[in-house]
Amino acid sequence: MTAITTETDVPRTVESARSAGKFLFIAAIVLICAWVLVPIYLLLVNTLSSPSEVSGFPKTGIPSFDFGSIQFFLSFAGVLKALWNSLLVAVLTMILSIGIGAPAGYALSRFEFPGKEIFRMLVIMTRAFPLPLLALPLAVFFIRTGLDDTALGLAIVHTVLAIPFAVLITFSLFSGIPIELEEAAWTLGCNRLQAFRKVVLPLVLPGIAASAVFAFTISWNEVFAAAVLTIENRTLPAFLVQSLNVSPLHLKFAGGAAMVIPALIFIFAVRKYLFAMWGIANR
Amino acid sequence: MKKTFAVLGTAAIALTLSAHAVSAQVLFWSTQAAPIEETQKMREQVLAGFEGGVDFQPQEVGPFITRLEAELQAGSGSIGIVGALHGDLSTYADNWVDLSGVDLAGINVSPAFLELGKLGTDEQLYLPWMQANYVMAANKQALEYLPEGADINALTYDQLVAWAKTLAEETGSPKFGFPAGPQGLKHRFFQGFLLPSYAGSTVTKFASAEAEAGWTMFKDLWQYTNPASTNYAFMQEPLLTGDVWVAFDHIARLADAFNQQPENFVAFPAPAGPMGRGFMPVLAGIAVPKGAPDMDASLALVKYMMQPETQVATLLATSFYPVTDAPLPADLPESARAIGPAITAMTAAEDALPALLPVGLGDLGGQFNQVYTDTFERIILGGQPIPDVLEQQAATLRDLMVQANAPCWLPDAASEGPCPVD
Repeated sequence: MTAITTETDVPRTVESARSAGKFLFIAAIVLICAWVLVPIYLLLVNTLSSPSEVSGFPKTGIPSFDFGSIQFFLSFAGVLKALWNSLLVAVLTMILSIGIGAPAGYALSRFEFPGKEIFRMLVIMTRAFPLPLLALPLAVFFIRTGLDDTALGLAIVHTVLAIPFAVLITFSLFSGIPIELEEAAWTLGCNRLQAFRKVVLPLVLPGIAASAVFAFTISWNEVFAAAVLTIENRTLPAFLVQSLNVSPLHLKFAGGAAMVIPALIFIFAVRKYLFAMWGIANR
Repeated sequence: MKKTFAVLGTAAIALTLSAHAVSAQVLFWSTQAAPIEETQKMREQVLAGFEGGVDFQPQEVGPFITRLEAELQAGSGSIGIVGALHGDLSTYADNWVDLSGVDLAGINVSPAFLELGKLGTDEQLYLPWMQANYVMAANKQALEYLPEGADINALTYDQLVAWAKTLAEETGSPKFGFPAGPQGLKHRFFQGFLLPSYAGSTVTKFASAEAEAGWTMFKDLWQYTNPASTNYAFMQEPLLTGDVWVAFDHIARLADAFNQQPENFVAFPAPAGPMGRGFMPVLAGIAVPKGAPDMDASLALVKYMMQPETQVATLLATSFYPVTDAPLPADLPESARAIGPAITAMTAAEDALPALLPVGLGDLGGQFNQVYTDTFERIILGGQPIPDVLEQQAATLRDLMVQANAPCWLPDAASEGPCPVD
């Protein structure tokens, strides 16, 4: 208060306004980073701590590198196989949902056909039915057709969950590419497929990769269908999440880390495409 | 990128097609022993001895029932043997194989449990597998604060409130703990302990004046309850850290406290109310679905589960007690030694009032529990007037009983048609 009363009406310099803006900018960055990193940090610290440290107070915030929880985890029969199954189902889901979703998105953005708006609504409608409701008839059907307990069967279900996102994301991607570019390619001798492959695809690839990552995550996180539709070939969430729910705290953390780290590694591996989607050159 | 996808895809599809080999293990589909450490012990110490191997898969009730129903509807499947609580098994009575042919020579199964396993028919639709209960546990430091004249093996709820009050005032912080977290078994306390002890009923007298008195007592008790209770699932953890000195929970969720620090804790019966000492024995059974892929292996596994050695191994793995007269070894873990006498004192007490787990609700069991959880949250956490809440929740409960068409179970008097809610 005193500062204001003594310094009368001196106009603020542009620099000071700029530095205030800069401060706000940095503060926002720190906040967003903390938002993401602090939970992951706590997860890792608790994973690497002994059970008594996990449930005790006060916390040191520094891991004691006790590998008991992790060891228990890796020795738990079937964890590695479940991890592998999870990857398999997630990759299959990714391929199926892009394979089906991207052409649908292209058709929605490039062609006029009757019932287009209704179709867009219907695509989203697939998310309107809760899985626990669908799981029973699906499981009966799967058992009868032999799809039961296969990675492919589960991937098909996960694809249904991921497709609305794949369709809508690719729809907006294709809509963002002017049709004139394609038309130019046609006039220069490309046929429709070539024009798509040589002109449109390179432009939308980062976006497609992003929606593929999205499909991957949806499959990676899904529990209920996985628990009902697989027995021998369990995915990691189906295998663990339900047991972890009622397990001691230190094992919950270890399980959480086991779920988070592979997904982090995957996203790290494809980050180039994600960044490129937002126009940050990183190649 | 596209190429990577293609390669990955081809590899993935090739793998799914090749890796789908059928295993000959018996699939053990269970709602019990779900905590990851118990699962591990079930696999390594209990089921490893079975010839041919067992794939033990514990599940939450939701997926458990969905998968089971799917296999029953499809008429075939992979589940070889089912392990679940009495209430869950009774829902699918038509689908179980008669187990009376299983050779139990030399094994004395509790006759009362065997009778329950018939589910009101002439066939042995499930065999009792293991039993458990809920007890109280206390840190020995808390004992010196017991109200004068109170016997820890014959406490009343009023004495418990007085004890919790003294503890809170003398030690500076509330020391009573209650598993009211999302994964805690709070609803079982209301269904099997609080309401039976006060109203002599779980369902019929849900909204009676006696029930109101019970909730009033619990509201008193809550003032001296550790507020972190709304986060607790397993009371063994806060007991071990010393945040809580007196607690109520399922024996399997207290066992670790006794195993880690046996010298620090005592187990004792649940308190009594005006109508008696309400308690809820838990009975789990094993059944074989009619569509089991390998019936002989399933029946052999049932027989294996009933053997004395297996029953003892199950006790060590899960803290659930045998249902047979299997001789208990001398080197029982501390938890079994401490909790066993408390259960005996409770079940054999003069004022003992057993209340069964819900029967015949099927997949409405979750909603049934929700009625009690909601009542707790509205009265205790929300501070809403008790009579209003009870009246509104009673209406929900009434609809639920009609929808399930479930007759009354103990301690409520048998009913024609759905259990009435007065």
